[in-house]
Amino acid sequence: MTRSPTAPPLSVAEPGGSRRPLDWQRVRTVVAQACTGLSDVDPDAVLQEVARAVYDGISPAELAEALTMSARALVESEPNYSLVTARLLLDELRREALSAVSGRPRQADQVQMRAHYPGYFADYVRRGVALGRLDPELARFDLDRLGAALDAERDTAFDFLGLRTLYDRYLLRDGEVRFELPQAFFMRVAMGLALREDDREARAIEFYDLLSTFDFMCSTPTLFNAGTTRPQLSSCFLTTVDDDLTGIFHGISNNAMLSKYAGGLGNDWTPVRGTGAHIAGTGGSSQGVVPFLKIANDTAVAVNQGGKRKGAACAYLETWHIDVEEFLDLRKNTGDDRRRTHDMNTANWVPDEFLRRVEADGTWTLFSPDEVGDLHELFGAEFAERYRHYEAAAERGEIRVFRQVRAVDLWRRMLTALFETGHPWITFKDPCNIRSPQRHAGVVHSSNLCTEITLNTSADEVAVCNLGSINLARHTTAEGLDADRLRRTTRTAVRMLDNVIDVNFYTIPEARAANLRHRPIGLGLMGFADALFAQRIPMDSQEAVEFADRSAERISHHAIEASCELAAERGRYESFAGSLWSRGILPIDSLRMLAEERGDADFDHSSTMDWSGLRERVRTTGMRNSNVLAIAPTATISNICGVGQSIEPLYRNLYVKSNMSGDFTAINADLVRELKRLGLWDAEMVRDLKVFDGELGPIERIPDELKRLCATAFEIDPHWLVAAAARRQKWLDQAQSLNLYLARPDGRALDALYRAAWRSGLKTTYYLRSTSATHVEKSTLRGTDGRLNAVSPAACTVDDSDCEVCQ
Amino acid sequence: MTSAHATTGLGEIERGAGRIDVGDKAMINARADVNQLLPLKYGWAWEKYLAGCTNHWMPTEVSMHADIALWKSRDGLTDDERLMLKRNLGFFATAESLVANNIVLAVYRHITNPECRQYLLRQAFEEAVHTHTFQYICTSLGLDEGELFNAYREIPSIAEKDAWALQYTRTLEDPEFATGGPERDQAFLRDLIAFYVIFEGMWFYTGFAQILSLGRRNKMVGIAEQYQYILRDESIHLNFGIDCINQITLENPHLWGAEFRQEVRSMLARACELEVAYGRDTMPRGILGLNAELCEQYMHFITNRRCAQLGLEPLYPAVDNPFPWMSEAMDLKKEKNFFETRVTEYQSAATLTWD
Repeated sequence: MTRSPTAPPLSVAEPGGSRRPLDWQRVRTVVAQACTGLSDVDPDAVLQEVARAVYDGISPAELAEALTMSARALVESEPNYSLVTARLLLDELRREALSAVSGRPRQADQVQMRAHYPGYFADYVRRGVALGRLDPELARFDLDRLGAALDAERDTAFDFLGLRTLYDRYLLRDGEVRFELPQAFFMRVAMGLALREDDREARAIEFYDLLSTFDFMCSTPTLFNAGTTRPQLSSCFLTTVDDDLTGIFHGISNNAMLSKYAGGLGNDWTPVRGTGAHIAGTGGSSQGVVPFLKIANDTAVAVNQGGKRKGAACAYLETWHIDVEEFLDLRKNTGDDRRRTHDMNTANWVPDEFLRRVEADGTWTLFSPDEVGDLHELFGAEFAERYRHYEAAAERGEIRVFRQVRAVDLWRRMLTALFETGHPWITFKDPCNIRSPQRHAGVVHSSNLCTEITLNTSADEVAVCNLGSINLARHTTAEGLDADRLRRTTRTAVRMLDNVIDVNFYTIPEARAANLRHRPIGLGLMGFADALFAQRIPMDSQEAVEFADRSAERISHHAIEASCELAAERGRYESFAGSLWSRGILPIDSLRMLAEERGDADFDHSSTMDWSGLRERVRTTGMRNSNVLAIAPTATISNICGVGQSIEPLYRNLYVKSNMSGDFTAINADLVRELKRLGLWDAEMVRDLKVFDGELGPIERIPDELKRLCATAFEIDPHWLVAAAARRQKWLDQAQSLNLYLARPDGRALDALYRAAWRSGLKTTYYLRSTSATHVEKSTLRGTDGRLNAVSPAACTVDDSDCEVCQ
Repeated sequence: MTSAHATTGLGEIERGAGRIDVGDKAMINARADVNQLLPLKYGWAWEKYLAGCTNHWMPTEVSMHADIALWKSRDGLTDDERLMLKRNLGFFATAESLVANNIVLAVYRHITNPECRQYLLRQAFEEAVHTHTFQYICTSLGLDEGELFNAYREIPSIAEKDAWALQYTRTLEDPEFATGGPERDQAFLRDLIAFYVIFEGMWFYTGFAQILSLGRRNKMVGIAEQYQYILRDESIHLNFGIDCINQITLENPHLWGAEFRQEVRSMLARACELEVAYGRDTMPRGILGLNAELCEQYMHFITNRRCAQLGLEPLYPAVDNPFPWMSEAMDLKKEKNFFETRVTEYQSAATLTWD
């Protein structure tokens, strides 16, 4: 029996223990307000769920939770319930934050909030400073001017996942109590990045507008910490680990310090000697690099980014390292657990020479780095030559530790591990170095946690990258890119990222030294799939590849131009002289350098903008930043903005996003809108979407054009993703986090895909995603889920059209 | 009646005997040699064996950090939530062992088909992994081992369920018991129904709902993740069992007469009552989003489903799943944020082919 929403005799237990009747009138009002103005949502449907969820003696906090829980359960049948749920949460958040700032119970609805925001904002800043959470400098801004610039309506732009993400982790708290509302949050970040600007109010408002409209979003560490008393704003750190115990444990200590304030780590472990190598101090032989990787793994678990998310690190190993085969197994769920790193990511750092051996079905030799130390510092032809030299030395018996394998066998083991565990990722050493603008100043020894950063590291320099992403969906209409808006956004975004470097709090000196010297930033994008949909371009099409090229070209052009102008305003970065920039070599030009190294490469070099003028300005005026462009995964900030991640295809049309805040139903709202227009959105369609795991292919009623537009990651031939990424890569001085998808386990397809990725000049790839082997019984369908049974009952007496057993 | 040795596969080797005819293979009472896997007769059994292998997981892969912190915090869970969790774990801690014992000591020797046996061996191992899971949860959270593992002898509603199921396995465990003849074959079917359809296919489901309900509120997320893995395995166990039953009754329609079908329906009805009682026992008061009444409706929904899968008339008026949120927890494909949790969609690479 379901309790009627009208008169259930329930009481609410206050924290002190006293009881009061549950105020159903207020519940009804709150739910009705949350549904106001939204189409196809029904307050009674929410109330019915609430009545089921509550119980006698429920706490006030649980009652509020019951409202959001109830509304969100309806999202799969109507995407607008996500907005209803967000509003219910917003109501709770306003109560919490307004009360916290004013010191007495306060509540306001959306309409009242328009008037309250400026006053609240000034109180919020003072409160934050008094609590020691906000930089005291923030109180010296013209708070009235900034408060007047806040747009309360933008609080309602979030869907539930977006607001819940802010609520759980981004909004500042006093103990457990949030005192920051979304618009104050965006302004706090903007102020934090404008601290050293001349007209800091004007700049803060300019930055605020970019963030609060979702045109551009800073990376998570910047959103967490900008404007606070501990402004660690960088996303990524890259380190190289030295081949002695002091170096190794210094590296691990650095990892701990960097993780503490929410940075992701890429560690180059190639220099550490391998199994069987000689140890001079003891005369013994080494156990290799794996036991140290286990320590790095456990360090990442122990230090959990200020409690806001798990520590995250990625270990890189170059493909000739004698321990590479064990490295491939680090993520397996079988074998000796002391030699497994379940929590740490791993990546292969693959030289071109290895893939040439694979293509020629040749042999490959594994070495310990203590005997071939310079290999790791070389790339291109020099590497290949030196590598052959060491192979010859090994033949002559001059090298102690080495082993020969068939290159194809090792390559297949790499792909098998990737398929089985998603790790290690495959990244390409040579294009990262050959095209690096900073190749005059060092060597790129690895990429980072997300394979989009390609910066030099050394014993003295820990590379740092500060990231932000343009929301391409906000700059694209049915007619294509809004070029003017994109230019404005890009220029402001580059300024914000450059500011990060100067206001940043550095946890270790090696990071500070590197960042101030080279000033790299990584501007990327998100909402690529949404931008394609707006133009009705399917992801698996030449038009999509073309759009990837042109949108990256435009962002690249504006970003390089902006950094060049900042150089005129603020000065060049310190190590500019000798860089590719200083030689008039832009990313589109360094592609030719790679083509020359590769010999037979067949890259697309097309361009549509005025690059010669910009090339000359860069060469003469200089650059403010050694690196400008890198496309990050935007896993969390895309949720805040409510758009598709980064350059990713649609995962599925109906699925669950699972993260630290829990599980969230995600439904393709564009698809639902189209289906409504076609009169096809009904309970049957929801059911079909569930049965077919959010793929449209098998649903006959859906027109083919729409099926192709809404094709999911597993339905698209992954070679299209590689093709689009290759065209994008032309314009990037760093790299991109490129996930690839494989619907069916097929070694040959896997092999062809990763060879194609290499040949097309990609610098890196990221996760390989496959899909689990079996399905669980669908729990919420009417009737039975016939897909799991192979044998129909002998004498079926069921007369039920919902039963699928025999179908 | 076939000889006992022929069905175990441990009898004297028939030297020089002819190669087997796939037509002689059968689910029970087969004439064909049970030691020869090929030629395959039941592709579905082999497919389920492969699916089980590709889904391999171990409980220790799942981090218990958040669960430990929440369990040890003073007000992270209400008293009712703690009671529910302990009784839930108390049921499962021995349930997986009972299921395993039934496979190994009762079912295995009477199934005379090697591809089905292949799956049973895989399933038996999975039951061990599941029992390992409860050991891992128990020691990670520092729970009282005796309280958890002895619960089936201390908590009446758990004891009632287990005792009811065990009566069916006890018939088969008798060393004198062998299939052959309608009465014995029906006794065997009863055991399959009691364990596959009822134990794994109905009684596990209240437990799944309880834990997933905590999980959706971001509580005890490690256990919730482990239950999702278990659920993935159990989905195959249940459906293997149903395929077995349907295959046996297809091959032996005389076993599946109106009277026996009615008996099976009564078994499901009784099992449903026992489960409803267990629901009340684990949730004497309400818990946010979950209570015994809703669990009763849920059990009616599940029972009707099992009836349909066996080709039986539903036992209850048509009901919807009262937990629409289960769609989010179970039905939809998950995309995990790799920063924050382990991606669970990967599968064994044994299936890769290169040439």
